[in-house]
Parts: sequence; structure tokens; C-alpha cells
Amino acid sequence: MKNSFLEISGLNKSFDGVKALADFSCSLEQGKIIGLIGPNGAGKTTLFNVITGFIPAESGRISFQGIELHKKPAYKIANLGIARTFQDLRLIYQISVLENVLLSFRNQPGEKLSNIFFKPKVSSKHETNNKKSAVSMLEEAGLGDKLNDSASELSYGQQKLLSIVCCLASGADLLLLDEPVAGIAPAMIEKILSIISDLPKQGKTVIIIEHNMDAVTQVCNRVIFMDAGAKISEGTPDEVRKDPKVIEAYLD
Amino acid sequence: MEYLLHVLIMICIYAILAQSLNLVIGYTGLLSIAHAAFYGIGAYSAAIMSLKLETPFLLNLVCAGGISSLAGALIGFPSLRVKGDYFVIVTFGFQVIVFGILNNWFFFTGGPMGLPGIPQPVIFGWHISSHIEFLTLAGVLASVVFLISHRIIKSPFGRILQAIREDEVFALAAGKNIAAYKVSVFMVSSAMAAIAGVIYAHYISFVDPTSFTVMESIFIISIVIIGGAGSLWGPVIGAIVLVTLPELLRFIGLPSSIAANIRQILYGGLLVAFMMWRPQGLVGKFRFRLENAKK
Amino acid sequence: MLQLAINILVTASNMLLLAVSFMLIYRAVKFFHFAHGIIFAWGAFFAYMFYKMLNLPIALAIPLAILAAGLSGVLIEIIIYQPMRKKGSTGLVLLLASLGLYTVLQNVISMSFHDSTKSIHSGQISNVQFAGVYITTAQIIALISSVVLVAFVGLFLQKNKFGITLRAVSNSTYLAKISGISVSKTYIVAFAIGSTLASIAGILVAYDVDMTPTMGMSPLMMAVVVMIIGGTNRISGIIIASALLSVLLHIGTWYIGMQWQEAIVFGGLVVFLLFRPKQLLAK
Repeated sequence: MKNSFLEISGLNKSFDGVKALADFSCSLEQGKIIGLIGPNGAGKTTLFNVITGFIPAESGRISFQGIELHKKPAYKIANLGIARTFQDLRLIYQISVLENVLLSFRNQPGEKLSNIFFKPKVSSKHETNNKKSAVSMLEEAGLGDKLNDSASELSYGQQKLLSIVCCLASGADLLLLDEPVAGIAPAMIEKILSIISDLPKQGKTVIIIEHNMDAVTQVCNRVIFMDAGAKISEGTPDEVRKDPKVIEAYLD
Repeated sequence: MEYLLHVLIMICIYAILAQSLNLVIGYTGLLSIAHAAFYGIGAYSAAIMSLKLETPFLLNLVCAGGISSLAGALIGFPSLRVKGDYFVIVTFGFQVIVFGILNNWFFFTGGPMGLPGIPQPVIFGWHISSHIEFLTLAGVLASVVFLISHRIIKSPFGRILQAIREDEVFALAAGKNIAAYKVSVFMVSSAMAAIAGVIYAHYISFVDPTSFTVMESIFIISIVIIGGAGSLWGPVIGAIVLVTLPELLRFIGLPSSIAANIRQILYGGLLVAFMMWRPQGLVGKFRFRLENAKK
Repeated sequence: MLQLAINILVTASNMLLLAVSFMLIYRAVKFFHFAHGIIFAWGAFFAYMFYKMLNLPIALAIPLAILAAGLSGVLIEIIIYQPMRKKGSTGLVLLLASLGLYTVLQNVISMSFHDSTKSIHSGQISNVQFAGVYITTAQIIALISSVVLVAFVGLFLQKNKFGITLRAVSNSTYLAKISGISVSKTYIVAFAIGSTLASIAGILVAYDVDMTPTMGMSPLMMAVVVMIIGGTNRISGIIIASALLSVLLHIGTWYIGMQWQEAIVFGGLVVFLLFRPKQLLAK
């Protein structure tokens, strides 16, 4: 039997006695967009943090493309092909938009000191190629005229867009997007959603945390509803919306 | 004339020290008060080797760099677990311990008396003895250090350092092994500081612990900050300004008994003033923000 | 054996007072105020100035010195740190400024009083000897003053409103502000109490041994180490930490020599930082 793309089983995590993840399990196929929804404090962001290795789980296992992620440091997990954005929108604000994207490419030869001095040609060639693809990605995203602005000069919406471009540049197969369209203008929402919905065509898998249900319905193939750290319901957006357990959770 | 050359040589030495410390403070955002310790390790390595083993200058240079970078790794490791003010204290402790070794380990370091009679360097038959020759040597080495820093900063490696300075979480999520970068930048920076120490030892021909105190570390920090942390030319400009200014005071006839005090008051005061009114330094682009900058 | 215990006690009490004073300020402002070491030295030098140079009676000279040094601490906060904070300087920018301040102020002392070693006491200090134990009256005074002052500060923080205010500011300046606490006033009070205690500590040490312009550096570092090990929340932690460090220091110097005491302290600190429980590392 083929290993599923992302297999999560029995995750538990609590903070000061409050359960953030309660025996959480799910299984994902490649090339799908999954919406992760639920009330505030349901454990959605905690799930992202556990998958990406920023917070250790107390128990349970996660396997990504057949590789066990448990106890791996965050940077190794990132290099296996998992990229993420943050709810509180993290970028390197003091360097340029282009450099933020360049930073996100994985395994660059120029990241090793020895290569900079002893294989300068290889590193600079790689860098030139990365620069080309970064520029074209940014142009495609509509940030082509902002390449050399520092990231702090962008609008909030543009910064969210940039953080997604950074995930794309990483070449990751799994993208975890934490509230990609919250708090930004409608035109920018459309732009970001269209980028996200194109991702499965490139073989990428996406999990998005989002409170904007219209956005979720528009792009997600499947939806997982979480409450109190557990999976309450899973299915198509419509199925989940009509699930009595979900309605009950919201009425509470 | 010799006096002018001497000032220029000192500018080169401090430019190397500041340039190397800038990699750690300005680009990686780790405040270290231990730089004079690495400077001292370089100077004493060269002094001990040339006095006890009679090794040639170039070998001293390489060995001093190697020893110092190993010591740099020692201090890089705590930076993985200890942050902010607490890390500053750890580097401070390292500085104090190294000073203690220089001051107390008589057998190797001569204790407070120091080590006199360090021979002038000979490089492939070129005997360096006059001021102008020392300036050439110091100038060449300072340029090499500048070019190495330049290449590091403009590389993807340098970009990662800047990412670590601002947001370690982002760097981790982008798959960067922060630990390895911090340790390697400390190793490079310490090796460079040792180069300055080697030049100093052979030039002055005498080393003693008082040249490598905490105050000296603070002086090097001042050069970086006042010149402009996180910029390539900042440390160079800082070195020119801070080495020259006290010399100018001599000309206005300050008694030499208080010259040393005035010099320290000058750079201490400038450090406070710059932190208050111009944290980005003379030519720096970035305001000297060491903590994770949130817009 | 008893002698060793007494020596450890004396060292611990010296560390304790300065560490508590440093902690009070650190809890409020959350950065390492290095210039605190200068306030310690200034206490001693003001005492020297009033008592030895201006020939005031000691009962007047000492309180004046404490007042002057304590006031200097408050002035540093008001003139230097407060304006910087208003410009949004981060803790490490303030720390750098305090390093600069330290450099300036130490040289001001050394220019005004010269670098020669001085002492406040006149003539021979009397010793007390009992059961084969040797202790100077200066040490007895230092020991008793430290214990009384620290106990007093502990009680003050518990009973007085300032204790609660300081805790609130320490936990979150933002929350403190919206609940109507004047954060800048709290800082000033913390500097006033902390600087007063530091200047007393300086006078006590100068009275026992002697004084030089650089006398503040090493005790301050020990105080910082004590605070890191003891934690910033409780005075009891500071008491335990100064006792531990004092034991380490005496045993260490016994085996490898007096000149390595700073290396011993910092060695102890690094071991502590690398092996302490994880949640403490959040800082």
C-alpha cells in the first residue's frame, strides 16, 4: 500500500493543562487544498507548529512522504519540503523584497562558507539562476515593481502575498498557510486565492487556516473542522457546514 | 612622519577588529563584549610562538587565526541557548577569563609583565622593520579582511546572517540551521580579530594583558556602532574617527596624565550619544535593532 | 572550619546587597544597567570626598554620600535612559548606552580622584577574635547592614504598594499602563532604591578593604551572576544564589588560587546557563 502524503495520528499537546491538541489524527492526499477551520483556540496554529517542529508534541506521530518527523529540528523539517507562513506575518523586514524570496530557496551552495571561497563560480551561478526565478515569481505575483524595496515598505496585503511567494520559492511540496487572507483588501484576497488554487496543478498540497468561510469554500477541496484540539468533522466544505456536530460546536 | 604612519597602522588594526566584530554584532545581531579577548589570543599566540618556537610570521598568522577561531566556537555554542542580555554576560565572562589567563599564567604569558622582544616579521625574505613597511603589511591584511567580509555579506550566507539578526523563527522555517551559522560566524570573526592581534604583537614587539581588557572590547564595540553597525564601510569609518580623534586632542595641549581618561570618556560619551540620537551610526543604514524587529 | 564559614558568610553578604539592588532595577527596566557598578563606586568615593577631603563628621558624610550616589542613579535614568526609551530604543540599545556610561563615569572618578588606592577608614581596623575565629569590625558592620537592609527591602516589597506596582510593571508595561500605573515613576523609584542600596554596598566594601575607580566592575559582575542564578522574582532566590556562589568562590580559590576568582564565577555561570531547566531559558 502506498504511503499517504501526510499521515498524522494521535497527536497530543497541552499548555498549562489546557488541551491544544487532543488525540488529533488525519490523513492527506497529495495535490489537494485542505481548509482547517474552527473557533479561536481550537488548536489550529498549534497543529502547524507541531508539524513544522517548532513545538514538540507530547505523543503521537507525523509522517511526511513516509518520513517520520518526530523529534526532527524545525530547519530539517523545512528542508524535507514543508513551508509555512505565520499568523503574525513573519518576514525579514530590513532586507529587500527580492532578498526575502532569495532567502527562501533551499540548499543553496552559497549558504556554505567553504563554497563562497572555494567554489565561487558554482555559488554565483546558482545565485544568478535563483535571482531569475525569484524575479519571475515576484512579477507573476504583481510585486515586480517592488523588488528592491525593503519588505517593511510593502502594504499589509502585499506582505502576506510576499510570504506566500517565499513559500513557493522554497520548492516545498506541502504549504501550511496560516490565515493567508485575513485582514486584507478584497482585490488582494482574490489575487492570493487565485495563486493558492493554482498550486495543486504543480503537485503541491496546501493546508490553510482561515476564518473567511467564503474563501475556504472557494479554494478548498476538503475541510477539517477542529474544536478543543480534536477533529470534529471532515468532508467537502458543504458537508462540514451542514454537519450537526459543527453547528453544535459553534452554538456552544 | 613616523607618528602619522603609526596612527595609520593603528587605524588598520582597529579597522580589522571592527570589521570582524561587525559580522557578529552588525550582521548577526549578537552583542559580544569578548572581542578584545580574541584580539589578545591572536597577539599572544604570535608572541609565544615567535619567542619560544621562533616560527615565521606567516605560520604565526595562520596558527593564531586557527586557535582564535576554535576559541570563537566555544563562545558561539552558548549563543544557541542563551539570548539577549544573558548572552552579553556570557561573552563578558569569556573576556574576563581570557584576561585572567593572560594575567596569571606566568609560564606562558609572562603575567602582568607581558612578553617583550617579539621579533619583526620576515615574509619570504622581506624583512619588515620600518613604519612604512608595517603600514603596507597592515594595509594589505586590512584589505584582505575587508574583501572577505564583503564576499561573506554579499553571499547567501550573509543573507542568512541578516535573517537571523531579525527573526530566528523565520530563518528556521526557511530551513536554515541557525546553530551552524552562529558558530561559523563566530569562528570567522575570531580568526579575523586574531590577525589584528598578530600584526599588533609584531609591530609593537611587546604584549601585556592591559591591551586586551573589557574596556578594549567596549572600544571596539564603539567603533562598530559609531561607524555604523551592519554596513561594510561603517567599521572602517568608525576606526578612522575613533583612532584619530584622541590624537587630535594631543595637539590642543591636553596633559598626558589625563589623556587616557579623556580618550575613554570621548568614546564612551560618543557611544551614549549615538545610541540616543543616531543608533544607525555615521554611515549605517539600519537602526541598531538587535531584538526581533516587528515593523 | 568555622573561619571558612565566617568568610563565606561575609562574601555572601557583600554579594547579596549589590545583587538585590541590581535585581530591583532589572525587574523594572529589563536590561542590564552596567553603570550600576559606577553607582557602587561612587558611594565609596562620595564618602571619601565628604569624610576625608571635606572633613565632615562621619555621621553626616556617610548619609550625604548615599544620598548623592543614589541621586546620580536616578539622574542617569531621567537624563539618559528615559529619553531613549521614548524613542523606542530596545533593551540592548540601552545596554550599549550603559556600557558607554560606565566607561565615561569610571574615568570621571579616575580623573577627579586619581588611580591610587584609597580607603575611608582611618588607622587600624579593630578585629574581633573569639573561639579562634578572626573577623574585622568592618566585616561585622557589613554583614549586619546587608542582612538588615535586604530583610527591609523584602518586607517593603511585600507590604508596600510599590512591591505590587513593580511586579505589575515587570510582568507587562502595557498592562500596567492601562491599569493606571505610571511606568516611568516606577522606574524612577526602582532606580532610587537600587542606587541607594548599591552606594551603601560600595561604602561597606570600601570601609572593609579599600577603593579604586574600577572597584565597581568585578562586584557588579558577581551581582549579575547571582541574579541570573537566583532568578529575578524572589529575594530568597538571590539569597540562596549568593550563598552558593560564595561557597563556590571560597572552595575554588582555596584550590586554585585567589587570582582565578572571576574565572571561577563565570565558569559557574556558564555551567548553570547550559544546564539549567529549559523553561528558565525562555528569557
